[in-house]
Amino acid sequence: MKNAVKLFACLTLMIFAATAVLAAQGGNPKKGKYLYKKECKACHDAGGEGGKLTPLSKTQAQWDRFFDKDKHKTKPDAFKKFSDQDVKDIQQFLFDHAADSDQPETCG
Amino acid sequence: MRKLFALLLTALLIAPATAMAVDDAKTIEDLRKQIEELSTQLEDISGRVDKNEKKTATDRINWYGDLRVKGDSLHYQDVTVNQGFLVDFDNSFDTLTTPFGGPLAGVAGGDLTMAQAMVDGFVASDEAFAAAVAQNPGLAPAFAAYLAFPSGSLGKGVFPAPTNDKFNVDNDILYTTRLRLGMKAKVWDNVDFSGRLNMYKNWGDSTGTKVMDSFSSFTMDGTNSGNTTGDFLRVERAYFDWKDIGGSNFYLSIGRRPSTYGPPTQYRENELRGGTPSGHLVNFNFDGITAGYKLGEITGVEGQTVRFCYGQGFESEFGNGSLFAEADLEDTHLGGFNIDAINDGTNFLQFTLFGAKDVADSFKGLAVLPFADNNGDGIPEGMNSGAFISRFQGQENIGDMLLGGIGFSREEMNGVNWFISGAWTRTLGNNNFNPMGLGGLLADAVPVMEVTSIDVNLAGEPVIGLEFTGDYVTKGLGEDRDGYSAYVGFQVPAPMGKLGLEYNYGSKYWTPFTQAQDDIIGSKLAARGHVGEAYYIFDVNPNMFIKVGGIYYDYEYTGSGSPVGLPKKVEDVQDGKEFSMFPVIDKAWDLNASLTVKF
Repeated sequence: MKNAVKLFACLTLMIFAATAVLAAQGGNPKKGKYLYKKECKACHDAGGEGGKLTPLSKTQAQWDRFFDKDKHKTKPDAFKKFSDQDVKDIQQFLFDHAADSDQPETCG
Repeated sequence: MRKLFALLLTALLIAPATAMAVDDAKTIEDLRKQIEELSTQLEDISGRVDKNEKKTATDRINWYGDLRVKGDSLHYQDVTVNQGFLVDFDNSFDTLTTPFGGPLAGVAGGDLTMAQAMVDGFVASDEAFAAAVAQNPGLAPAFAAYLAFPSGSLGKGVFPAPTNDKFNVDNDILYTTRLRLGMKAKVWDNVDFSGRLNMYKNWGDSTGTKVMDSFSSFTMDGTNSGNTTGDFLRVERAYFDWKDIGGSNFYLSIGRRPSTYGPPTQYRENELRGGTPSGHLVNFNFDGITAGYKLGEITGVEGQTVRFCYGQGFESEFGNGSLFAEADLEDTHLGGFNIDAINDGTNFLQFTLFGAKDVADSFKGLAVLPFADNNGDGIPEGMNSGAFISRFQGQENIGDMLLGGIGFSREEMNGVNWFISGAWTRTLGNNNFNPMGLGGLLADAVPVMEVTSIDVNLAGEPVIGLEFTGDYVTKGLGEDRDGYSAYVGFQVPAPMGKLGLEYNYGSKYWTPFTQAQDDIIGSKLAARGHVGEAYYIFDVNPNMFIKVGGIYYDYEYTGSGSPVGLPKKVEDVQDGKEFSMFPVIDKAWDLNASLTVKF
């Protein structure tokens, strides 16, 4: 029992000494998914104006670059209807489900 | 004048053209230079991309994984060890009385009064025997027990007699390391390979085998991913997915299945769904086939998938000395449905229904048995003092099983996750049972022994020699039993991470296939009783977290996680009313802290 208490105490100290948690990017991925399906999928579906695009189409770093630098410059109007938080939410959703993100470990 | 005018006009017209010509020449030169530069750069980049392409094309497996280091502090309260042999004292009477004048046995016959008198006489007149009884209290009640039977039937009793001794077991600190290496490879546009290698060990042990003190001690195919073995990587899963077969929504997947860490057990692991089948019913490594259909593509319900899964849990011939043609056993086949009704990232609803046919009385596994069969009659009656490893295999098909469940989980917008799962098992036992004494399908079948010798050793203690009579006392064979379980929990965002609480309950006959859960005390979801868990996860960064938690087990019935043996009330074993081959735990605490890094 004593050892367990020592272990617990050490870990607690470690935790408080460690760097603050990095919230991924401050966006809400569930809201982002909802916005993406409502607004973006219209053009970014198979046969659509923007061509088929899913979160798996890019890696996390590629999505970050797109939102930091490109900002949808081929059609800037697409972004105009979103608030800053909306854009962050969409970015978080795409980031969280990117090609190199964690995937559910199921068959099929 | 006209001529001059014409000349001037011509000059004016030519001048800009000439100037432009000069500008043009400059621009074209610039452009040519730029194009040359770009071409050189392009060649350079092309060369570098070629190298990358070559590496990617030949480097076919994508690796990822995680490493978890964990410390557990385990405290078992009120453990009872009530092991004994069922002895037929009728047959033993001659032997027991022989050291003190054999002919008396013939005279006594079945007469209780005479027997009582003889026993009293023995105790009173033979000092060595009196001392032996005093030193081994089990003898006295055993005598009393068989003397209590009506005349003509001295009957059977448990020897040594069950006691009501309880003790606590503390394992102050146990460290384990778990390494999981995941593999993904692309076979073709619609065919993928997935796999996972797994190392799970406790610090200081790489033997791969344990001394058996419960069913969790076996090293066996179905539980290797959740049972510490050693510093070797075992293949936990390896399968291919052949999707969109012929352009349809069917998929086929064969191999060592992703059948551990299934929903809703992923929340306590702080990861995404870790397996396909419901983790409340199946947390077991097995090889099999899944045929799936993406119904969601037709109905529009996101994530809706219907799967039929099949596996073989026991191979009755190969590896069991089949060329001797001694075992007359059927393979154990498992098959059933696993349906994701909704799976849209917020709501998850899963239905499970499957059955196991011709369940064997044991899986193939290794363990060091504390007892040994020294006289070759198939029943262990002595001590395994050499700590030899035994290879267990099924000896009888003991019945069939049905399992089913419904699970629902929801991930709210605000980060709160919660789940509720209900499950049911039904065992359909036949009249077969394990000849060694493990029992039938949720039934007891205890071998009856007889005393063949009774000596007093150098220390003055009696040494009883036992032999198997060929009879069994059975209880509960051939019955259908229903077991139930409920599992609920939630996880909420908390400062620096998440806080989680879980509770599960299992009824007397609850018999799931969750034995590969890596909880040290035993699969918490297989408990026949109550289990509560509380944990705090500190998300150090998106790829690393620390989990601190505690699990409290309150077992109500024995044999949690095992389909053999009749479950008994833990209280009855503690009160000496029932005996048990394995140690019986009443309550236990598992306080743990772990750190996991993902890569």
